[in-house]
Amino acid sequence: MKVVLYLHLHQPWRLARFRYFDLGSARPYIDERRNLEIFRGIAEQCYRPALARLAEALEEFPDFRLSLSVTGTFLEQAKAAAPDVVDQLRSILKTGRVSVLAETYYHSLAFLLPPPELAEEVDLHTAALQREFGIRATSLRMTELAYSDELAAFAGRSGFRAMLMEGWEGVLGDRSPTHVYESATMPSVRLLPRHYRLSDDVGFRFSSKGWSDYPLTSEKFVGWIAATPGDVVNLFMDFETFGEHHPASTGILDFLSALPHAVRARPGLEWATVDEARDLPPAGPLSVPRTISWADQNRDLGAWLGNDLQRSAFEAAKKVNLLAHRANDPELLEISRRLLTSDHFYYMYVGGHGADAGVHQYFSSYGNPYDAYANYMNALTDLRRRTIERLT
Amino acid sequence: MSTPKSSPRAFRRPIPVTKTELEPFTSELTWQRAPGVPKPRPPRVVEQRLRILMIGWEWPPHHSGGLGVHCFELCQELTRMGHRITFVLPFHGPRTEIAGVTFRTPGDTPEGPYPGAYEIGGSPTRWDSGDIGTFNAWIGTLSAKPFDVVHAHDWFGTAGGSAIARRDGRPFVQTIHSTEYDRSLGHPWPDVLAREQLGIDAADRVIAVSNHLKEQLVERYKARAEKVRVIYNAVRPSERLSALGGAKKIVLYLGRLAAMKGVDTFLRAAAQVARSEPGALFVVAGEGPEYPRLLTLAAHLDLSDRVLFLGKVTDEERTTLLASASVFVLPSVVEPFGIAALEAMAAGVPAIVSKTSGVAEITTGMFTVDFWDIDEFASRIAELLAYPVLRHTMGEEGRISATREGWEERAIQTAGVYREVLAGRRR
Repeated sequence: MKVVLYLHLHQPWRLARFRYFDLGSARPYIDERRNLEIFRGIAEQCYRPALARLAEALEEFPDFRLSLSVTGTFLEQAKAAAPDVVDQLRSILKTGRVSVLAETYYHSLAFLLPPPELAEEVDLHTAALQREFGIRATSLRMTELAYSDELAAFAGRSGFRAMLMEGWEGVLGDRSPTHVYESATMPSVRLLPRHYRLSDDVGFRFSSKGWSDYPLTSEKFVGWIAATPGDVVNLFMDFETFGEHHPASTGILDFLSALPHAVRARPGLEWATVDEARDLPPAGPLSVPRTISWADQNRDLGAWLGNDLQRSAFEAAKKVNLLAHRANDPELLEISRRLLTSDHFYYMYVGGHGADAGVHQYFSSYGNPYDAYANYMNALTDLRRRTIERLT
Repeated sequence: MSTPKSSPRAFRRPIPVTKTELEPFTSELTWQRAPGVPKPRPPRVVEQRLRILMIGWEWPPHHSGGLGVHCFELCQELTRMGHRITFVLPFHGPRTEIAGVTFRTPGDTPEGPYPGAYEIGGSPTRWDSGDIGTFNAWIGTLSAKPFDVVHAHDWFGTAGGSAIARRDGRPFVQTIHSTEYDRSLGHPWPDVLAREQLGIDAADRVIAVSNHLKEQLVERYKARAEKVRVIYNAVRPSERLSALGGAKKIVLYLGRLAAMKGVDTFLRAAAQVARSEPGALFVVAGEGPEYPRLLTLAAHLDLSDRVLFLGKVTDEERTTLLASASVFVLPSVVEPFGIAALEAMAAGVPAIVSKTSGVAEITTGMFTVDFWDIDEFASRIAELLAYPVLRHTMGEEGRISATREGWEERAIQTAGVYREVLAGRRR
């Protein structure tokens, strides 16, 4: 049984307050200083200590393997706010036991835009990985683990050999998430389904004192993995799980440090990277006609496009992106892409109640979804005006 | 939800006291649950009915602010729960009757020395401290013995109410709706201040209409935090009437024209919005001492044809105004609660309130702005006018969140305070 630990590093460019009467004022939409301040805080709590733990583990346990993805907007902020974090990443990549996945540079929903946008954003990201780390990524993950047959076709055409997806019963049926599958539409693309229950035991439940399995030790957790039948257990989660979502005081970093030893102590368990696990013999073809994601209870795109605010903002952003392409202005195109980052739409989620709403509020940089929408629409309206001016 | 909110209240039988009231009062958290969490109705159990002597100031149909509405709705729900109330008012005059509520007014009692000079409901502003003294002296002639608890609202009857409660060995509960510091914007009338202080000091429990107000009572009036409970105001669910004809976008202020309400901020923000939104009409509904100054300010801002001063509006006109408004603004400098904003939300009108408003504590479905930030008020108004999807979504979500907890919940919470003080006495 292979164990795949895949961690996702991302920070969005959060918008500054851009008022309605700032339209036409040439004020920037993004307050870089504030974003970098937030980044420094998270680097201190999470990126620096967790990367240090991972570096130690890679050194101590030659069998330990790891997979990462790092968004373009994360890299931009890391280079400006905490370049040592980029050095830490470079240094663990040098071990050759860490694979890095490609995605959209802007952590966007570009796959819902007319074709060139997705390919261009993925190209921007692979180029950035090449530039920063000298790595050519050959596995792909979409924003928030979005996946569909159409995306597999895109991945295959672009030369990617694997994609990540949510191992959700809604699409797997009675098939287990502990196998590798091949895309029904593009057999060259192998699919690694996330084991969401075991992943969320760490990602969501680790520090929850009301949980019947609290506290979670690495031995207990690895025992669960060992008791799971199949070829591979895919543990996919945010990197920020380690130190930010769960602060160090919960013991999450010690848990991370203890994992490699606990896995080695279990006969039959073996670490693998995403790039290694994709070569396991596939358990059959899998078709996913409708796009799924790893978010919320419904595993759809409802977290970003579930309500009228989100849909109207996204439709408007699509149009501005098209205009920016036509204007052929690199700066305007870049801003339009920063505004396509999925987080902006996530902040506009109107949940009201339930577990999902709590998760949304945790991640939001606004007081409520209406703040998020109004501010975003002001910035987008301003960009639209600027782009139209350029076109005429 | 076991009781459908839509059933006509007049035909509902009084319901017995709920179990919530019997539970020992351990934490305010049970009252202040996150607005998002649906509240399960507790099972009903039979309990002793309470006799309450309540001291107020105004009562519908004649009321000028949240106090009258609060007392009316609270009494309505308390009597439905089976409690009986004797309500003390300083004025005679027409009153909206509630079964189970008996009124007492100076002059209607043979044992009282009060001459009955205020036969016709007068304006509160005509009272001087001597009148208040007489009112309280008259309260002092009443007996608290037939009652389980004495409950005073604001400062008007604190002296008499606390005196008879002490004399007759009954617990005293004091609700504060706003403070003299806030009403006077920092220039309090010492006599009123002293009466507020007296009520707070004498009370076994103080009820504040928001956390913000509670903090003020602890800081300025040195109330012990442990004896202050927060019980918010509420609104009744209302169906939004179909909007009035015409393409006008109406931006509404509805409230007294007092300095603490920050209406000049509304006008200054309106001046910014008016330039970019030629179709917007700004409506100021309410009366008060600031009216002449605000009228002059509107002219000075070149807004005379864009702002409509309506003066005092009836309840019916209020409903119509809320039904036709696109945006509701409450820019108060200080606002212990701000029930008008909750009414607007209940009518499906998106609201913009100042950050310090108590109402902002119970819902996140509104825009909150620093009271001094005219540019931000202007931006919020313009955003709501410019983005129909925002206006619609906020209106609909607000309608649901504003009425999630109603007067019934507030009455249950108030009765919980009564039980708390009674339990304290028995120990």
